[in-house]
Amino acid sequence: MKLRELFTSDSVELDLSAESKDDILKELIQLLGLDDKSDAILFKTLKRRENLGSTGIGKGIAIPHCRSLVVNKLRLAYGRKPEGVDFQAIDEEPVHNFFLIVAPPLEVSNQYLPVLGKIAQFAKDPDIPEVLSGIETAEEFLTLLEERAP
Amino acid sequence: MTPASSSSREMHPQLMLLLELQDLRAQHRELEGDEGAAPVEAEHFNIDRDEARTTLGKKIEELEDRLSPSIRSRYNRIAPNRERVVVPVINGVCYGCFVSIATATVGDQDVHQLVQSCENCGSFIYVAS
Ligand SMILES: [Zn+2]
Repeated sequence: MKLRELFTSDSVELDLSAESKDDILKELIQLLGLDDKSDAILFKTLKRRENLGSTGIGKGIAIPHCRSLVVNKLRLAYGRKPEGVDFQAIDEEPVHNFFLIVAPPLEVSNQYLPVLGKIAQFAKDPDIPEVLSGIETAEEFLTLLEERAP
Repeated sequence: MTPASSSSREMHPQLMLLLELQDLRAQHRELEGDEGAAPVEAEHFNIDRDEARTTLGKKIEELEDRLSPSIRSRYNRIAPNRERVVVPVINGVCYGCFVSIATATVGDQDVHQLVQSCENCGSFIYVAS
């Protein structure tokens, strides 16, 4: 499964409006288009994961992730906040790029962990933060994934 | 986040707790052993598996203590033996055992208001939207 196939253009937002860590998580969750109750449960689960240690891996990138029964298949979203937000990242720098990954508790295809690893690897390429900051459309983002994280 | 629309009714707090517990148990379980999430979490996110499992375990106990006595008693019976304590009901079918649930059980009312269980497999159920 290619990473690009796990995103839709609806699940990409290049100009997040939230100003805090919690609100960023909520805005990312909304990109998945679930119902209100599912949003609330997912937020709690993501928060619990963040409480174990921030998913802000440094260089302006965070990868909030969890398993939750509110989804029935692997779901991904990408959000960008050009001005950055304090996300308690490992390097304590503001985070600009957010990759949300949510998988169901039981997954036939077992894609969750490989996808999580793949996104983390992609995010660690030294030029990725700069490339992401120059993206202008969701389609450009999807093309980037195709090229750099096939 | 936009506020819940006025037509969307609140989920029963005990059902909400069960759903939270389920997600936490899934996280806890996934950090077991040397496969699964532990190596990925350690490599990319600096997460210490044992520490994380202890933290999650404590949180799970905290939430379990908030279950009402009758729900706690059913939970204690089913939780040790299965990965999922709460399962969705989709189109009248319990996704714990794939048996149709009697309409009397699901009822016409908003089942998000109630905490019910499947008569066939004993799982707590919620109606997925
Ligand atoms: Zn059942």
